[in-house]
Amino acid sequence: MDSVTTLTACPSVPSTVWAVPRSRAALDTFFRGFGFNDEADLSALAAWVLDGYSAHGAQPQAAVALARARMETWLSSVLGLEHAGPGLLARGRAAFVLCDGASRGARLLTRPAAPEDFVRAVRAAVPVPAPAQVSTVMPEQQLVLWPFGELLRRWWRGAAPDVSISR
Amino acid sequence: MEAHSFSPESAGFRRAGVLGLAAVTTVVGTLEMHRLLSAQGTSAPEVVLVFLFALCFGWIALSFWTAIAGFLQLALGPRLPGLRYPSVDEEALPLASRTSVVMPIHNEDPASVFANVQATYESVAATGHLDAFDFYVLSDSTRAEAWVAEELAWSDLCRRVGGQGRIFYRRRTDNTGKKAGNLGDFCERWGRRYDFTVVLDADSLMDGRTLVKMARLMELNPRAGILQAPPLNVGRTTLFARLQQFAGRVYGPVVAAGAAAWQLGESNYWGHNAIIRTEAFINHCGLPVLPGKQPFGGHILSHDFVEAALMRRAGYTVWLVPELGGSYEQPPPNLLAYAQRDRRWCQGNLQHLSLVMAGGLHPFSRGHFLMGVMSYVASPLWLLFLMSGLVAALHDRFFLDAHSLDTASLAFDAPGSLRLFAVSMGMLLTPKVLGLTLALVRPGEAAKMGGRVRLTLSVLLESVLASLLAPVMMLFQSHFVFGTILGYRVNWSSQQREDADLPWAEAARRHAAHVAAGVGLVVVAALVSTSLVAWLIPVVAGLLLSVPLTVLTARSSLGLWTARRGLFLLPEETEPPEVLERAQSITEEHGVEPVSDAVERVLTDAKTHALHLALLESQPGLAESTSSPAALESARRKLLGGGAEPLSAQEKVAALLDVGTLSEAREQRLMRALS
Repeated sequence: MDSVTTLTACPSVPSTVWAVPRSRAALDTFFRGFGFNDEADLSALAAWVLDGYSAHGAQPQAAVALARARMETWLSSVLGLEHAGPGLLARGRAAFVLCDGASRGARLLTRPAAPEDFVRAVRAAVPVPAPAQVSTVMPEQQLVLWPFGELLRRWWRGAAPDVSISR
Repeated sequence: MEAHSFSPESAGFRRAGVLGLAAVTTVVGTLEMHRLLSAQGTSAPEVVLVFLFALCFGWIALSFWTAIAGFLQLALGPRLPGLRYPSVDEEALPLASRTSVVMPIHNEDPASVFANVQATYESVAATGHLDAFDFYVLSDSTRAEAWVAEELAWSDLCRRVGGQGRIFYRRRTDNTGKKAGNLGDFCERWGRRYDFTVVLDADSLMDGRTLVKMARLMELNPRAGILQAPPLNVGRTTLFARLQQFAGRVYGPVVAAGAAAWQLGESNYWGHNAIIRTEAFINHCGLPVLPGKQPFGGHILSHDFVEAALMRRAGYTVWLVPELGGSYEQPPPNLLAYAQRDRRWCQGNLQHLSLVMAGGLHPFSRGHFLMGVMSYVASPLWLLFLMSGLVAALHDRFFLDAHSLDTASLAFDAPGSLRLFAVSMGMLLTPKVLGLTLALVRPGEAAKMGGRVRLTLSVLLESVLASLLAPVMMLFQSHFVFGTILGYRVNWSSQQREDADLPWAEAARRHAAHVAAGVGLVVVAALVSTSLVAWLIPVVAGLLLSVPLTVLTARSSLGLWTARRGLFLLPEETEPPEVLERAQSITEEHGVEPVSDAVERVLTDAKTHALHLALLESQPGLAESTSSPAALESARRKLLGGGAEPLSAQEKVAALLDVGTLSEAREQRLMRALS
């Protein structure tokens, strides 16, 4: 059998959403990355992702792409503009896992709005390894190691000064 | 704002006092030595002996007069002239500047590193000036396990203190220039965001009040380029470490105050526990790569002295400010670890020889280079001095007419020799006596160090043990100096363990040559006379006892035993400052879970996986910077091929830098687990 019926206890998700097994497995893997391991949660999340899409995740890549889009939308609504950008999913996932969001169940994602305390916690947990760079160059200093010898050498054959070899 | 940070008018008087008196003392001592040796004419070995004596005695004389200056500075008023200090009103104002506190690390224990960062962070927060500071852990760690453990420790720390956006973690994949390169990389990426940068070491710990005071002093003294807060050794329990801590606490202030008293705005920078003016540092302290091969060419190893010299060359002053306090670090736990550190520093300091004559430097910067060189070269000089003395004695014994020794005018002036010996020893011990005196007269200080009797006893015991350990260090350092100059590699593979007991076998292996040297000295001296053996006992005893001394002083049990008996006690142990207590309690409460296999951990643990990938993706360029495509290819084959072949260290690093490989491998594992 190529398809299964996915039942979910989540009232906001239709109870007859189904996905092909390979797509369902790919979705499960994706959401396990957020710390979800409970079968009921994974079913609910698969349904949440595929709800409203007629292809019903015929291809695993398409299903995961849908899941990514869903999560990015959810994360941007929770984290706000401050963390918007290309790394949103990676950083948002890290914050979600660090706050143990999965322990609150699939409903945390499927409900219309996340609880305020969780929003505060997840915003504070977004990893910011470094602030925006203000690039500059630290010029390598010129040091004439032996000024008298340098004077003689220049007089003798006009060679380059004995400064850094990295120049 | 007016510049207040140039050396004051009293600088000339202070410098003439210390340097002039040191020079006079050296001349007088050398003449006396020459008189003693020339009773029977002067042989070639004796000429060498006098020359070596002049160098060694000059070094001792400089330390002696520096200690005297330090004692006077501390007794008469600890504040250095030349710096503008904040008034009471100014101290109440918020800081107008932004300061970064950076801690470069390299394969360190993340538990203690991040405990120190947290304690320092909280201490700054307690001052109410946290908004003026950002914290950076700048990792140069090459071990994959250290890297992943640091990421986890950083994340935990940020969660504990709510520090995201204020405590940053950056790992460099390219370790060019080592610590100086690490700091340079920080300056080029984020330096322009800050007015000042406080540089810490991996074991540094600083009180928030000290950091605020340093930032404020920099604000008030716009020509000050670097302020160095002398760090106090604390926190270890082995007997060796406790001896270092005690010596640093009792004698260190006298020496530091003395150096600060005459060097003033031309002081030195020790590479950590210091604040630097970031823009000046960026513009004027980019280190050159020296021409020629190692040990004298290549990247500058001991960057701090050179950066101080460059800062001074650019017109900014460099100050050692002992009165700052609240600045801590940890000493090595045992003699072998101490020697291991010295091996690295020795090569770095000797490299400075090629910079002594460099154009445009302040004379004091040249002096710092020479003093750094001398702090290691003094050992082989002392060794050569001993050898020359022995050769001279053998020469007199076997080549001089025996009857000439009976002539009164040609006889060896034994009382004169004893007098010179006593003067030399007195000059060596003066810093200890002055430090002890200050500790005894300062109200309440002796009580915190076990009481007056135990404090004095501690100084006596420390002096005896230091005298026994000194000849061993002399041989170690001589080995390092000759090794560096002759270009042979001085290998050292022993592992550094935190306050762990040292095995007898390792100590015996490291000290075999020292014991043999001690036996050799006794034999040669006995050939001359038994009295010469007696003269050499202070040196020989340390060498013959080097194995048990190293093993026993490496024991925490002995260190703690002395602490229980009130010996070598520090006020920071009896009444620990808050920041020290906090760092200790964080280390105990929030232990970092060890990472035994970094790749395995990232692939199996959702938290580690998510965090690691987030950090990789947040630092564009990091993931692409993998230096070995072959290692990545091989790692992918092993990870995705389904086999159980372990990854090499290089393959681990390559895999950890590649988001695609990590994601694929984790998906594959999860899929496999599901099916």
